[in-house]
Order: sequence, then structure tokens, then C-alpha cells
Amino acid sequence: MFSLINPDGTVRDRLPVTLEEMRALYADMVEARTYDQKCMAMQRQGRLATYAPFEGQEAAQIGAAAAIRSDDWVAGTYRDAALMWRAGYPWDLLIAGRTGDERGGKAPEGVNVLPPSITVGGHMVHAVGLAWAERLQGSDRVALTSFGDGATSEGDFHEAMNFAAVFKTPTVFLCQNNQFAISYPRSEQTKATSIAEKADGYGMPGVEVDGNDVAAVLVAVREAAESARNGDGPALIEAVTYRLGPHTTSDDPGRYRDEAEAQEWRQRDPLIRIRILLEKAGGWTPEWQEELETRAAAAIEAAVATAEALPLPTVDEMFERMFAEPTSSLRQQLDEAGT
Amino acid sequence: MSVMTLAQALNGALDTALDADDRVVLLGEDIGRSGGVFRITDGLLEKYGENRVFDTPVAESGIVGSAFGMAIAGLRPVAEIQFLGFSYPAYDQVINHVARIRNRSAHRFTAPMVIRIPYGGGIGAAEHHSESTEAIYTHIPGLKVVVPSTPHDAKGLLLAAIEDPDPVIFLEPIRSYRAVKEDVPDIYYTEEIGPARVERHGKDITLISWGAMMKETRAAATALEEQGVSVEVLDLRTLSPLDTYSIISSAEKTGRVVVIHEAPRTGGLGGEIAAVIQEQALYSLLGPVRRVTGWDTVFPLKRSEGHYLPSVARILQAAEQTLED
Amino acid sequence: MAKEFRLPDIGEGLTEAEIVRWLVAEGERVEADQPVVEVETDKAVVEIPSPYAGIVLQHGGAEGETLAVGSVLVVIGEPGESSVPAVPLAPAEQPAVASAAPIVGTISEVAEDLSAPPVEALETGQVKALPIVRKLAREMGVDLNQVVGSGPGGRITREDVLAAVGAAAGGPLPEPEPQPAPEPEPEPAPAPGPQPEGATQPASTEDVRRPMSRLRRTIAANMARSWAEIPHVTTFDDIDATRLLEIRSALGARYELKLPLEALVVKAVIPALETFPEFNATLDGDDLIVHGSHHIGIAVDTPDGLLVAVIRDAGSKGVLELASEVRRLGEGAKARSLSPDEVSGQTFTVSNIGALGGGHGTPIVPPGTTAILSVGRAQEKAIVIDGELAIAPVMPLSLSYDHRVIDGGLGRRFMALVRENLEEPALFLAG
Repeated sequence: MFSLINPDGTVRDRLPVTLEEMRALYADMVEARTYDQKCMAMQRQGRLATYAPFEGQEAAQIGAAAAIRSDDWVAGTYRDAALMWRAGYPWDLLIAGRTGDERGGKAPEGVNVLPPSITVGGHMVHAVGLAWAERLQGSDRVALTSFGDGATSEGDFHEAMNFAAVFKTPTVFLCQNNQFAISYPRSEQTKATSIAEKADGYGMPGVEVDGNDVAAVLVAVREAAESARNGDGPALIEAVTYRLGPHTTSDDPGRYRDEAEAQEWRQRDPLIRIRILLEKAGGWTPEWQEELETRAAAAIEAAVATAEALPLPTVDEMFERMFAEPTSSLRQQLDEAGT
Repeated sequence: MSVMTLAQALNGALDTALDADDRVVLLGEDIGRSGGVFRITDGLLEKYGENRVFDTPVAESGIVGSAFGMAIAGLRPVAEIQFLGFSYPAYDQVINHVARIRNRSAHRFTAPMVIRIPYGGGIGAAEHHSESTEAIYTHIPGLKVVVPSTPHDAKGLLLAAIEDPDPVIFLEPIRSYRAVKEDVPDIYYTEEIGPARVERHGKDITLISWGAMMKETRAAATALEEQGVSVEVLDLRTLSPLDTYSIISSAEKTGRVVVIHEAPRTGGLGGEIAAVIQEQALYSLLGPVRRVTGWDTVFPLKRSEGHYLPSVARILQAAEQTLED
Repeated sequence: MAKEFRLPDIGEGLTEAEIVRWLVAEGERVEADQPVVEVETDKAVVEIPSPYAGIVLQHGGAEGETLAVGSVLVVIGEPGESSVPAVPLAPAEQPAVASAAPIVGTISEVAEDLSAPPVEALETGQVKALPIVRKLAREMGVDLNQVVGSGPGGRITREDVLAAVGAAAGGPLPEPEPQPAPEPEPEPAPAPGPQPEGATQPASTEDVRRPMSRLRRTIAANMARSWAEIPHVTTFDDIDATRLLEIRSALGARYELKLPLEALVVKAVIPALETFPEFNATLDGDDLIVHGSHHIGIAVDTPDGLLVAVIRDAGSKGVLELASEVRRLGEGAKARSLSPDEVSGQTFTVSNIGALGGGHGTPIVPPGTTAILSVGRAQEKAIVIDGELAIAPVMPLSLSYDHRVIDGGLGRRFMALVRENLEEPALFLAG
């Protein structure tokens, strides 16, 4: 498994990432975790619908997003808020989505990040089409798709991987293996030794990466993205990580896993190892930590305020979102619905 | 202008589209080297090259999902699914993603794509190849469903579908591919998606149908006219959105309506049409809206096909009953 | 300003929760998003974070107490503040979970009791009629249950409805006559009988509002419709009824009955209807339906109003049979015991207002027909016969017809034939 920074913050070898880059990645992970905690709290306060936390997966998501270009495509899942944010999707839209508002799906112009896929496994093939179209149109954009270990059992994973390799689309497949598909453990999801090795079956490179090592993820995804950009086709990256929280706020992990196991993975928390690393390298102080936390809290609170200030969607919007122009029957129904 | 069959008109439409717009690409099984199992894409790979026309692995969901991604990223893909009965593996992609992306992203991302699907029975094909399950697509918000019955309409509607900013399921009646021909302009033209075509004007009774069943409907209309009945014939052409205006106008005019479709009766579009008519033209009706349809049985194999497909005789029987009302 | 935080539905299918443990005591400070209380849901204990920063002014309940979702969980503010309901937090979906399997969405916990006694089924009509026919019946005030359908399978047709309408209309408006005529007043049902004008009533100067009976409403609707749709022309004539009355007497003496005049009038009219079929027809859109049979409506004066009873196939009946029909129908009409096809379907109407002392009038053509003949009371008058003054019983005739179908010339010719027949009954008794 490819890794650069050990759980205890020591480095295997020379780090091909600068100190400044590491500080930036750390700051992003702090903000991501702040967002995650705030959403959990908001859900318990009745202000958010079901929320799927990513606690423990910050390195996999921030590292991957930092490795691609700002105009690259991203097709992720309902758990990929940190990935989407780092790729340019504002926090307030992510929150609006979780309050049940389609306006949360409207990425800003120039941010090529699709709204999160709620169905499991349906969206990887979209990243194939996106990447393929970019190449046909002569651009060098790549498409990154993020999915979990559970998604690799869906038929569309197979179809996506196959098409990507056959048509050599510049698609980066990022599997965040967080060990669980709701309650179903990774060891039973597939009898392959690793998810990364499935890439062989499709004729594309696959690499297993320590998903809690933000530098390793960054390097691996960057390499795959650049390769794709150069026309060498797709790749699969398995980021081995752990879902520290529940599947969603409606889930109780105590029913299917041992708390001791979760505690063990907390020792390998992606933020801790970077803090230790930075501290050793003179790039972290408690004051800076506090500054980061304050800044993050402010940013998240501002996003919450923006999202919660959105007025209720009108009935018209529901009808106008179906097509470029509503059909006459939709207009008739709107008349009926509006009274 | 050339005389063309439906198949040739479709081929011409695709050729015209590929020529007119660089963003148009075709993908599907056997459409390139082989020109398509019904030859609808014949010659197009040779003419436009392997960066415009793609043969794909056998993977319907992959085809539709990739086309979906392509459409979002700026292309105008025309994907082919070989038979309606094979479209179900891609159904998840169609209803969960293709039909919804505009809604999900509040117009930020859209899917201007066409899924061409040969459909319908009467060709003596193997199991699954004769399906007419259009209702599973017309029932889905966010999709348009189009069915031409004539070569002229086929070319114009396909070009309109490719131009459409939203996804279109384009159903092609297999039985009609080579069984109808007429003059078709060689230029680029479109037929509007939505409006039905009043093929014949009349005042005693309205026959409504689409696709391959237009053949039997036309024959029934002629037979009725020989008996002195004035028959109005509507070719719906678009199944979703339904042209309720034309349907209601005709119902108000004649007061007698028969709907003909080969799809199974229950949950078929005939029910929707009858509902619309009784909602908006009840007091014009001189009798019930009758439906002449396929039965609620699995589409049978060749030797029983005659028991299943609506015949001219069945249409006439329904029409006569309605005229007696 | 102190704020209330109400117990939310946090997606565990919550309708209520038990307070397990307060994590911040009353009087202590709490930060925003800091867990303030543990509550127990179906299966798990959940920490709820405070949405506000401040001092916990009040716990919404004690440990062990159960609170309903929506009730105040905790009040947070500054010391000394009174609690004020907080601005409602932004609307959010309230997902719930069946505790066995996590899902997304909300399931209501409020169970509908299906063991409640079923609602009694209502009786529905068995009448068959097209929607357009039902609508017509509604508009015309026709009760479809009283109409016999002549369409396929007993279906009620438009013509059936129109005929039913005609049965309850067509009363002529008599001219005022010197003799006072007892006029039946419409009474609201149940009506004991007609109140003659001038009958003693308790003195009252107040207006009285009396709803019209169903029959009267039907008559009213028919009259209105007739008047609105049919361009009426009425042509008048007087006939010398000498011979008619002689024959009536003779027949009456021979058969020991009082022969109703209507029987002779109907018999006299039939040949005219045969010669001028426009008078035995129904105008339907652009078509004139000329009826093959002659069903003659006879206006019958009943306590409830003018009813028309129908002699079916009058053309095939002799005078005596007609007489017996007239009598029978008259009695049945008064008793309101006639069947639907005895009060509907007339193709021409004869109204004898002479019984009430009427003279000429302007009868109203019943809807669904094209003409009506009213016959007034024969009175001795001075007339000129062959240049000499004579006295003879003069009977006034008034013929109203639908001017869309019948022109003046045709109307006069019809009237002339009827008059000929009535002045010399041998002409029609020969048939």
C-alpha cells in the first residue's frame, strides 16, 4: 500500500510535497472536519435532513481534490462533501442540498462538480462520458469519480471501468474504501484481495493507497490525473480509510461493529498525523490551530446562515425545472397546483 | 427530395445531423462497422470516422451512462439501444439520472441526448424483441418520448430530438422500417416534437394511434370511409408530452374516439388518452372511448403473434360499436 | 432575549423522548453546538447539541421525564431574561428511521385505526344515460328515474328527456274572459287542494316566500326554455261548432257517456298532421325529425299544475277509444298515477281550455314539438251564413307553432284543414 506519512506523523522517505502545501492541506482538513461536526449537530437540532458524515475520510477527499485542476470534472457521492468543496462547490450549497432544496445542486459556473449521486454506483459511468467528451472536444480535462467499497459491487462499476479502459477515457476512479457499506463489511463485499487489483481485470493501472495519508493520496491522484491528461487513459485508486462515524445520522454503528475497532482507527486519524508532522517541521503552533478553527467555524457559520436564509421554493420552480421550457401539460398542471 | 423508407429517412437524418453539428456523436452496439442491425447507421462510420461513431461493448447501462456524461460535457450524443426489450438494464440510468439532472442541478447541468430504440412486434422475432413498453418511459417526468410512423416524420422528428435541449427517447417501429416509403426532403428540416398530425379529417369518428399500428389504423379508416363514415385519423407522433389539444379538439368534433396501440392494455397510453378525453370533453362524447390494444399477456412468439396484435378487423369492430352508440 | 429550543424530531422516528441526563445544569453556560442533554430514542441514547450559546435558564423536564417532540427542551439566554419563543429555525425535512434499518425519509408514527366501522354504502341510481343527456336532464329539471329510456339497453336518450320535459309543460295562457274562471293556485307540497281566488285567508300584509313545487319548477323551466328557443307564432280561428256538438251529443246518448271534446278534436287533427307532417315533428339541431306515429298530448288541469298526458298512437284509435283514453288519462293525471311513457313523448299537443271558459289564447309550444292547438269554449254568437245572420256555437281555436319550421302559409293551411274537419266531422270520422 502506497503511503508517505506514517500514522505517528513520521515520514517514510522524502516527501514530494512542500511544507506550504502540507499546511494548506491541513487547514482544508480542519475546515472540512468543522463542517462535518456542524452538520451532525444541526441534524440533531432538527435543522438538517439525514446527513452522511465523512469523519475520518478527510485526507482521502481533500488530497484527491487538491490533486486535480479547478476545471476538471468531479462526480461523487452523498458522502463526498469535503471532496466537492475542495473542488469548488460552496459549503452553503452543500448544506442547502441537505435541507432538501434543489438549488443546492446548482454548482457555480465554471465549477464542473456534479450534484452528489444518491444512488450507489450509478455515477461512475457518468465520469466516463464526461472525460470521453472532453477528449473528443480536444480539451485535456479529466474526470474524477469518487465512490465507496460498496459501489464496486454494482454492475455499473463494471460497465464504467470497462468502457473507460476500452475507450481510454481520461477518468480517475477513486474508491474510498472506508470498510463499510452501511453495515456490510469490506471483507464480505468482495473476495478480491484488494479493490485496486480489480483494475487488472479491465486493463488499467490500479494502486492501493493509505487513504488517511493526505500526501500519499495527493501524489497518487495527481499522477493518475496527469497520466490521463496525457492520453494514457484511466486508472483506479483505492484509498484505504475508515468511516469513523455512522453511515448516516439515522444509523447506529454499535449494532454491527466493535467500538474498539473504531477507536483503533482513531489513532490513525488523518488530521493528527499531519499536525504532528507539521509541528515537527515547525509548521504548526497552538495559536495557528486556534486561528484555523476560528476561521473554519466562521466560514461554516456563514454558510449555514446563507443556506438557512433561502426562502422556501415556490411551486412554479418545481414545474420549471423539468425541461428548458415547460410543456403545455406542465403549465396546465402548474395552474391546477398553484390554486 | 427522394423517395425513402423509414429506415433510409432515419439514416439520412443521422447523416444530416453529423454533418451539421460537430457535437453530434453516435454510440451503440454494432452501429459502426456493421452499420446497425437494422442498417439505420449504415455508412456513417466510414463517412464520419471513429471519433464520431462508436461501436461499444455489450453494456446498455454503460452506453446510456456514458452518453449522459457526454451530453453534460457539451456533446450531443445519439445512443442506440438495440431493442426496447434490452433497454431495461439502462432504465436506472434513464430515470435516475438522464431524466433528472436538470431538476437535480436546477438547470446547471442538462442532458441534451437522444436514445434511439427500435421497438414493436409483428416481425416474428425471438422473445423480448417485440416489446412495446413505451408506458414505462412516458410515465417518467423529465423525458420526452417520440414515435414516428412515416419517413417524413422520422427524419424531421429525429433532427428535432437531436436539437432538443432535453433528453428524448426516440422509438422506431421496426415493422415500419422498410414497409412505408414516401418523398423526403434531402435538406435539414425538423418536425416539432409535441403536436400530433391529423392525417385525415373527418366528423363521424376519430381513430388515434401511433407507430406501426398506423398501418392498420389507416386501413380501418379506409374501410369505414367506403361505408360512408367520415373518419378522422390522428397520428400522435409524440407520446410524451401528449398533444391533448388535438385529442380534445377531435373528440369534441366527432364525439366518438377509438385508440389503437399494440402495447398491453392495462396502464397503456390508451388509458391516459381516455382519461384526458373524459376530463375535458365528456359532454361531447356520444359513447365511450374504446381502446384496441395488445393484451395483458407477454408478447407471444411468432406463431401466436396473430392472436396478439390489433388487427384491422378488431379496429373496425370497435369503431362500429362506437358508431352505434 | 432568551430563546426556547424545542425537542426536534431528529430522525429516529421520534414523537417523544425521555430525558436521560442533563449535560449542562441550569445556570451553567453552554456554547453553540455543545451537547446539552442526552435523550433516549427507541434504541439509542443520543446527545443533542444546543443551537445557541448562553446560560441554561431552564430545563424543559427532569431526568427520567418524557417530553413530546415540539415541546420546550431547554431555554437559553442571559440571567434574568424571560423566555420568548425563538424565531423558528430554518425549515428542514424531518427524516425518521425505522430503528431496524436506516432509510432516508419520514414515516408517520400516527396509525390510522382501520377497525373503525365502515361507512354505509349509498344507494346509487341504475339509470343509464350518456353524460350529455344527464346534463340536459339536470338543466331541464327532469328526474331520470321517472323517465323510460328508449335507447339501446333501456338507455335514456336526449329525445326521452325532451319528451319528459314536454309532458310537464305546454299549458296555454288564457285570455281574460268575462266569466270568472277558477284558477288553481300552485301550492307548496304537500298541497291539500286548489285555493280559489278570493278564498278567505287570514289577513296578512307581509310578503310570503313560497318555494315552488318540483312540478312547478319543471313547468317553469320548460316554459322558459320554450320561450327562449322557439320563435312562436299563433294563428287564430273561430269555427262553427254546430255539427261537432250535435255529433258529440248523439254519440253520448247512444253510448251513455259524456264524450270528452278532446276525443273529437284529436280525431279531427290527425288527418291534418298526416297532411302537414311538420306539425308532428321535433327539431333537432339542423334536422327535423318527422315522427312516424301520432302521440297526442292532452293538457290536463290538476291541482298541482298543468300536466300533459299522452295518448299514444292516437291515429290508430277510434273516437270511443280516444274518449276512454282521455278520461283515463285525465283521472290518472289528477291522481299523479300515470307512468312515465304516459306523460312524455308527445308529438303534438291539444289543449282544451274551454273547460275553464277560455277563448283564444297564445299557447306555448312544448319543447321537443313544433306546434300546439288550444280549443276554447264554444259560445253562442252571431255569425253570417250564406249572407244571413244566424246564431251558432262559435268555438275559438288558437294554433301556436315553431316559426323556424312552419311558415305562416303552412300554419294557415293546417288550421284551415282542422277547421274544415271540426265543422264537418264526417270528414274525419270516415277515416
